[in-house]
Amino acid sequence: MTGGPLLLNRVIEAVLTAGVLVSGALMLAGLALERTPLLQWGIVVLMLTPVARVVVVTLGLALERDWAFALISLWILGVLASSMYVAAHVARPRSPAVAPRHA
Amino acid sequence: MPRFLLPLPSGYDSGVTEPSSWLLALAGAGTGIVGSLLGIGGGAFLVPLLTLYFGIPIRTAIAASLISVIATASASATVNLDRGLVNLRLGLVLEVATSVGGLAGGVLASQLSQPQLFMAFALTLAVIGLLVAVRSKRRNVIADLAVDPGRLGGRLLEGGKEYVYRVRRLPVAFGASLLAGALSGLLGVGGGIIKVPVLNTFCGIPIRVAGATSALMIGVTAAASAFIYYARGDVVLPLAASVALGALPASLLGARLSDRVQIRYLKILMALLLLGVSLRMAGEVL
Repeated sequence: MTGGPLLLNRVIEAVLTAGVLVSGALMLAGLALERTPLLQWGIVVLMLTPVARVVVVTLGLALERDWAFALISLWILGVLASSMYVAAHVARPRSPAVAPRHA
Repeated sequence: MPRFLLPLPSGYDSGVTEPSSWLLALAGAGTGIVGSLLGIGGGAFLVPLLTLYFGIPIRTAIAASLISVIATASASATVNLDRGLVNLRLGLVLEVATSVGGLAGGVLASQLSQPQLFMAFALTLAVIGLLVAVRSKRRNVIADLAVDPGRLGGRLLEGGKEYVYRVRRLPVAFGASLLAGALSGLLGVGGGIIKVPVLNTFCGIPIRVAGATSALMIGVTAAASAFIYYARGDVVLPLAASVALGALPASLLGARLSDRVQIRYLKILMALLLLGVSLRMAGEVL
């Protein structure tokens, strides 16, 4: 148990750093080369970075046998999954704020 | 990879006129540095900047702000974790509320018209500005190391001294987090601007721990609604990417600077800015 929480902090840090670096590189390349798919991947990686962080926290807490907090973490993962589910089922494009793509 | 992430939302061929990437990155950098200094996402300043100065439609601005807020939160969390400022367990408990709020706000946002969004934003900023302006400045930490911090409390090293804090009034923290999450999803603000003052003033959490823990939570809160904005096509890719790219390095810098700046003066400045921006936003639709 000793050192466990600190190790978990290190792993979270690594996940966040990796997410930020990869998405930053993709977005930069996308802007420089005017390539939409690169921008899109950059933003998707950025949006998934907090999700990856919660996955790691859930696993870390389970390994520490801190079941109560692992369950809390799992709940948050469930909320994020519901958000993706809602997103996957909304009609697009929804808002008149953005002009239709093929206009 | 979920399927909805793959089809293109608005890219270079979107109808939104885009200002220069450099200016947008500068806007992202400015709000990112303020955001990470104070442990807030920075969206409270970014959305008004994008709508009032760049003339970007508010829904597009909110979506870009959410993306930038995730960048600020993730980048500053790496610095804060390293310093041992983040209270991971407290963050988890409160994330239950912020993520649910974020999801609900994201769904609700599509039901509001542009003027309604402007008014909601103006009102929110005014209330928070007043709260920040009048909040108390008392210290919450206990110097006696024999005190048990409890399951959610913790210890903090500051200026070579060790302090202990206990979490008080957890339901208040939970309620504030739910509200912060909903506002995040609705208006693209991180919500730290509500959580940090409440956690510090009412719940006994040292300001720097409150800021660092809030910053970590903000990433999850913003992600809970960002997927919905993205799927609706409100995330204009070059715009959001430019702002986020400015915010990334600025947040790292802001998080590193945060222990050298007199937070009190920043707060007074923040309160004034919030009230001023609120009036300008309300003026747009009145």
